[in-house]
Amino acid sequence: MAKDRNTSDDFVRPIRRILIGLLVVALFGVFLLWRIDSPRVERFRAALVDRFVPSFEWALVPVTKLAGMVEDFQSYARIYDQNQELRRELQQMKAWKEAALQLEQENAKLLDLNNVRLDARLSYVTGVVLADSGSPFRQSVLLNIGARDGVIDGWAAMDGLGLVGRISGVGSQTARVILLTDSNSRIPVTIQPSGQTALLAGDNSATPPLEFLENQDQVRPGDRVVSSGDGGVYPAGLLVGHVAQGSDRRLRVRLAADYERLEYLRVLRSHADERISDPGGLVVPNPLPPISPPGGDGG
Amino acid sequence: MIDHFTLHKWLYRGLLVALTVLDIFIRVLPLGEGRGTFPGPELLLCVVFAWVLRRPAYAPALLIAAIFLTTDMLFQNPPGLWPGLVVLGAEFLRVREPLSRDLPFAIEWGMVAGVMVIMLLAERMILGVFMVEQASFGLSALQLVMTVAIYPMVVFLSTFALGVHKLQPGEADAMGNHV
Repeated sequence: MAKDRNTSDDFVRPIRRILIGLLVVALFGVFLLWRIDSPRVERFRAALVDRFVPSFEWALVPVTKLAGMVEDFQSYARIYDQNQELRRELQQMKAWKEAALQLEQENAKLLDLNNVRLDARLSYVTGVVLADSGSPFRQSVLLNIGARDGVIDGWAAMDGLGLVGRISGVGSQTARVILLTDSNSRIPVTIQPSGQTALLAGDNSATPPLEFLENQDQVRPGDRVVSSGDGGVYPAGLLVGHVAQGSDRRLRVRLAADYERLEYLRVLRSHADERISDPGGLVVPNPLPPISPPGGDGG
Repeated sequence: MIDHFTLHKWLYRGLLVALTVLDIFIRVLPLGEGRGTFPGPELLLCVVFAWVLRRPAYAPALLIAAIFLTTDMLFQNPPGLWPGLVVLGAEFLRVREPLSRDLPFAIEWGMVAGVMVIMLLAERMILGVFMVEQASFGLSALQLVMTVAIYPMVVFLSTFALGVHKLQPGEADAMGNHV
């Protein structure tokens, strides 16, 4: 018996080793394929998520509701404190409301004087956060709207207050939003009173740092940070957050969107900007024909 | 009629798939858990290694590859690299399964920890060579420490709750080729 097993092992072991080798090579091949032809694999990934995650929804909903109930119940415990706090805040808000009304009137007057046209083409689709497969390594959420609602890669997603992230990966019924805090996220921003531009670079922490800032002295903690619209990535002027100084003396941005509870996100329909590509007849009276690429007419 | 051992083998393989689905389900829940704070341990990796060192037949290489490729796909990791390393690590341990039957648990733990460290280093090196954006080393190391720390717990649970215990000397002969 024992001898039998040994002889069969002699045949089985090398074959097994070859098969395992093939399996590992195939897996590394997938990795290589992803590295070489990322869009195709990412499309496959989006399709897979599209199939897989909504099938969990029947179970996701009760668990989420339950978690919400537990949270609500905890909040009952400190209801008195909350009430006091809300009253105080309400007082402050009333003062702010007066100020806001006055400012709104003033703003309307000034806009009228300037004949400013606000961009009327910004409309939005609202989606519910289906799941967040967030981890300390990847910061993204999944929305229940996708290609069938007309969502396109690259559109901006906001909650009620501020920018949350951008669409990256669209399935037919789901779309993934890469949050501003993800380490792959870079967006061009303007810091408001000083008008300086910088890059908001996510680093997986709750407060992403500002990079490529020209003059740090002109920026103070508390300044507003809005998207600048450079490079056509986002519409300009969306509120991102406020500047804060981290413990390491780097300038970071405290995001305006409430990342703790992302429930409904609005995805802004943005349209490609019109671009001015030719120099114009007045500047160059007789423009030369475009230069054909070298080697194009050689063969 | 189905052989007793074969039935068990397939039952436990099904159980492994069920554990995977549970793990994915918990990680996909919109509770905002673990967001930007503390990386949780990789439970599936512990389960797979614990089973490979106890009953290799319960965790075949193809199933391991499928499980980790699926989680990679769903959680936005670079697909294929980590599953490949997990399969290699599991095979390394699988070959040493007969050896580890008589060893104390501490040595098994050390062996598993060593394999995990090498896997992590290999992953980071390959990602570095291919110039893929990766998380900070501190975070990955922290996750590794958590995974290694949770391993005895996983072994305890899978032994006493799921009944995956080490082969006794007599058992191995009785099961013959089903080990």
